[in-house]
Amino acid sequence: MAIRVQLDRVLVERRMSLTELADRVGVTVANLSILKTGKARAVRFSTLDALCRELECQPGDLLVHEPGPGDLIEDDADA
Amino acid sequence: MRLPTPRNPFKRRPARAPRWIDAVAAPVRALGPGSVSSVLKVALDAAYVLLWLITGLLLLLLIAAIFIPLDNVNITVSGQSGGRQLPLTRLLLLFGLGAATAYFGGFMLILRSLRRIFRTLTMGDPFHPANVRRLRQIGLTLAVVTGGVWLAQGFVAARLAPGVMDPQGLGELLTPIFSVLIVFVLAEVFREGARLRRESELTI
Repeated sequence: MAIRVQLDRVLVERRMSLTELADRVGVTVANLSILKTGKARAVRFSTLDALCRELECQPGDLLVHEPGPGDLIEDDADA
Repeated sequence: MRLPTPRNPFKRRPARAPRWIDAVAAPVRALGPGSVSSVLKVALDAAYVLLWLITGLLLLLLIAAIFIPLDNVNITVSGQSGGRQLPLTRLLLLFGLGAATAYFGGFMLILRSLRRIFRTLTMGDPFHPANVRRLRQIGLTLAVVTGGVWLAQGFVAARLAPGVMDPQGLGELLTPIFSVLIVFVLAEVFREGARLRRESELTI
């Protein structure tokens, strides 16, 4: 997946634990772990909204696009 | 003193559907007591126990048939054109009992898978990936059992009772083939359901 969730970094910056965030957002710790480890396939806007509200950040602070090998091949084909 | 106001006979009363319409239109409960699935579950359980008993009995008879002395025992194969005496050989007895045991055993296996599928339904997780495998097993067992019945009937008609039983035509296989096809299509539908379930599990 070329989309990476930078929940670790934002949590360290806010000095917040995963459990505390889970309590505030209303998502289970297990689900937040799935998000943090990059196993998630999709994020609901409502979850993203709650995360941004509690972490006082923008979606762009949480999500980063990193082109993988597949993306590079597609880019070469386009060029 | 206030007199009660007389009822206006021309005033239209609010329309109310008859009680039977309420009963029919009421949504049927999917789960829980009194629902369709609970009735189905009882039927499945009863059929499973019955088939289990029949298969067990037939299996015991099959084992016993190996040791029963079969001297001068004849069976009568009856048909429309009259009866015919056949000597009951051990091979014939074993074939008959084995075929019956396999038939009922096959349906018992199908019911076992169906009960497990039902258990996932009552747990609220019908698109469990294991159900895809179970449905494929049901389709395969159904194909083997119905195909076996067709072959066994053909064998009986051709060898054991020629002229008494009509040989099986390919038309007899149409219904089993359709049933097996339906089960396999359902298995594919469940595979897609299991994929969507996985996807929704990983949607945070």
